[in-house]
Amino acid sequence: MKHCLIVDDSRVVRTVAGRIVQDLNFEVSEAGDGAAALQMCREKMPDAILLDWNMPVMNGLDFLRALRREHNGKHPVVVFCTNENDKEHIGEAMRSGANEYIMKPFDADIVYSKFVETGLV
Amino acid sequence: MQDTTFEELADLALNQTGQAFERSKTYLMEARLSSICRRESFSGLDDLAHCLKARPNPRFEQEVAAALTGKATRFFRDRATFEQVATRALPARLKQSTNGRLRIWCAGVATGQEAWSLAIRLSELTDQPVGKAQIEIMATEISTPALQTGQSGTYGHYAVQTGLSIDRLMTHFERQDTGDWTLKEDIRDAVTFKRHNLLESATGLGQFDVILCRNVLSKMAPVRAKQAVENITAQLLPGGFIFLGSDENIAGLQTSLKPSRDMRNAWVPIDRDETAEEAA
Repeated sequence: MKHCLIVDDSRVVRTVAGRIVQDLNFEVSEAGDGAAALQMCREKMPDAILLDWNMPVMNGLDFLRALRREHNGKHPVVVFCTNENDKEHIGEAMRSGANEYIMKPFDADIVYSKFVETGLV
Repeated sequence: MQDTTFEELADLALNQTGQAFERSKTYLMEARLSSICRRESFSGLDDLAHCLKARPNPRFEQEVAAALTGKATRFFRDRATFEQVATRALPARLKQSTNGRLRIWCAGVATGQEAWSLAIRLSELTDQPVGKAQIEIMATEISTPALQTGQSGTYGHYAVQTGLSIDRLMTHFERQDTGDWTLKEDIRDAVTFKRHNLLESATGLGQFDVILCRNVLSKMAPVRAKQAVENITAQLLPGGFIFLGSDENIAGLQTSLKPSRDMRNAWVPIDRDETAEEAA
């Protein structure tokens, strides 16, 4: 079973996204900020990361840049999932190593579509 | 909803668009007509059906029938078909073309995502002969509101996130202040939209190298679907291909089409010999 890490400071978003991703047959773990997520990745690198942008301690973009420098850090498919939905933010995320981008609000169809785009399902 | 109302509306849909409604799908009927009911201040479908009988108006009947058709679609739905069209069917037709021009008909496109997906895919093939060919894409739809959405090339937050990669969204769309996304002009120039009922002759549209009619026939009553297939087939150029939806099989309708020998979801005239064409 593939493993997806959901990184978002909102418990509600983590719960909703977690259910969607579980339905896609992923094992799910959660982190509330980028620093906690980075620590979890060092312990066990996930196959997919659903990543919020604005979070305390370490934001999504800083997390992504740090992740890609980690050993095996290029392995996870990273899908940003954020309220930042203008072209500048999207471009910056993609240049920093994101594989796909979800603009909130999202639903199961969108997550599924983006997971298909990246070959996760 | 009264039984008579359901029967009258189901008959209207069947006669005007070929769409078949089962009694268990009354919720779908209510959902699809809700905006007309709101606009016209009808209390419900019984009220709407009463108005259709009391004040016959062909244009309003047409609008109601068109509203009853399914509009579910998304960008790059069943993307394998787009690859077949772009990398096999069109190149095959281009080889046979004497003027480097190809015509594609996307029939029954609802809100247009299929036609735009094809235009986007073709725009990505600039290094191949088909990417340099003069390709005209015509998109037709019976529902005027759906047609207007398609024509506008503007889609909302959810529509652009189902089927489109973020790279394609960034490359081919501009974000509006409203939060909607609009296709850029180079793609918008590639598709022409027209209102058309598949139950009517399509002679006026001309002939086509490739016709896509996906996820439309399966919602029609068999006799109407057969009629639509014959109307579509009449517009297919010799050597052309008709693509249906991935779960649509018209073999039982006894039409003049057969499945293509080696192109998935493609159908060709029953008297065509693809083996001989390849050998030639």
